[in-house]
Amino acid sequence: MLKLFKKSKEKIPKSEIITEPKEPKTPPVSKCGKPLLLDNSRWERRLHKELMSLIKEPPPGVTVDTESVQQNLSEWKINIKGFEGTLYEGEDFQLLFKFNNKYPFDSPEVTFIGNNIPVHPHVYSNGHICLSILTEDWSPALSVQSVCLSIASMLSSCREKKRPPDNTLYVKTCNKNPKKTKWWYHDDSV
Amino acid sequence: METFKANDANRDELIMQQQREIEKEISDSTPLVSDQLPLTCLKAEYNGDDIFTAKIQDLAKRYKYMRRTRPDGNCFFRAFAYSYLEYLTCNSHAYQEFLRLAEGSKDKLIELGFPSFTLEDFHETFMEVVKRVCPKSSAGASEIVQTELHKVFNEQGYSDYVVVYLRLITSGQLQEDANFYQNFIEGSFTIEEFRHQEVEPMYKESDHIHIIALCTALSAGVRVEYLDRGEGGSVKTHDFPEGTDPKVFLIYRPGHYDILYPI
Repeated sequence: MLKLFKKSKEKIPKSEIITEPKEPKTPPVSKCGKPLLLDNSRWERRLHKELMSLIKEPPPGVTVDTESVQQNLSEWKINIKGFEGTLYEGEDFQLLFKFNNKYPFDSPEVTFIGNNIPVHPHVYSNGHICLSILTEDWSPALSVQSVCLSIASMLSSCREKKRPPDNTLYVKTCNKNPKKTKWWYHDDSV
Repeated sequence: METFKANDANRDELIMQQQREIEKEISDSTPLVSDQLPLTCLKAEYNGDDIFTAKIQDLAKRYKYMRRTRPDGNCFFRAFAYSYLEYLTCNSHAYQEFLRLAEGSKDKLIELGFPSFTLEDFHETFMEVVKRVCPKSSAGASEIVQTELHKVFNEQGYSDYVVVYLRLITSGQLQEDANFYQNFIEGSFTIEEFRHQEVEPMYKESDHIHIIALCTALSAGVRVEYLDRGEGGSVKTHDFPEGTDPKVFLIYRPGHYDILYPI
């Protein structure tokens, strides 16, 4: 269960300018000079589809804050309930999903937000979650729904409410974006 | 203590930044799939290296051209898809059979438990690509189809969707015949973990097990020529599955696959 964190600093480093350029005004062009017609609308289409499905057939305990999505399709707030019979029974949590236009090739950025951050060995007090499918084990075949299910299952299987052992240091030094943390995943059994 | 922490954090940032710079350099300098190049272009990479030079000469007796693929961890899947579809553009009968198999693959994956929901997008785009390279019988048509193939594979929006779909097919095959494939997995990985961690995510490199599973799922034979520093003066050849009549020819150098064209 040890997640080794490590991270970066609060201030946005210069490197980000290189790594996450603003969307260019002109359509991006592929190596052989043909415009990439598909990409722009495609991630939105996919998000719409996921949204519809999540509203129509939400997994147990999961609800989308549709108001948040209406304002901005690339940021969703999702409410998630602690299941009965688990350490989190009766608690309500909120997740923030942020997507970019490379979704679903890029994983969503997912954090707990709000007043109640679950006390869990894989959840830092700033809401960052150590879960491998959110970074290196992300696959485009996963979805918002599968991420919610993984997080729900991570909470349900917890046997002792406590913060990660490196919480204080991590929260002090990490980047605001958890995807900028180079996580070390150790034990999935918690 | 503070200083130590800051250094640690900075180092992480630097590592990630360097990694992104390397990735960017690769994507700027290497197309997803290159034009056909003479096989002898490999020699320049190993100038003065006797072992490699001898092996490239050996390889040149059987292959005339190659296409490079971008070394992004998806190279096996991309090279395989390109090469197999290129074969199909000139083989109407095999194309029709593949079309049927590809059409049916989605339902099969759904039966295996893949979420139809995310699968649909990838299948749809995959089928669109397959249909765009349908063999045509009119004069000069095969060149047009091959140009189309090359164009599609260099558009990331299509090319990566094809890669994802092949990864899912591979994963489905591993699941379907889990007892068999479990034997190939080292360590304490279960098939389930292996599929989710080493097959389905993009950019994860392929090993024999990926190749065997994909070839089996698509009934497509692949020959891989291994060019490495090993003894013997000739490249090692492996066919997947064994005894197959290969339609796809790839060269493997540690960590990377490119496409070959037999003489």
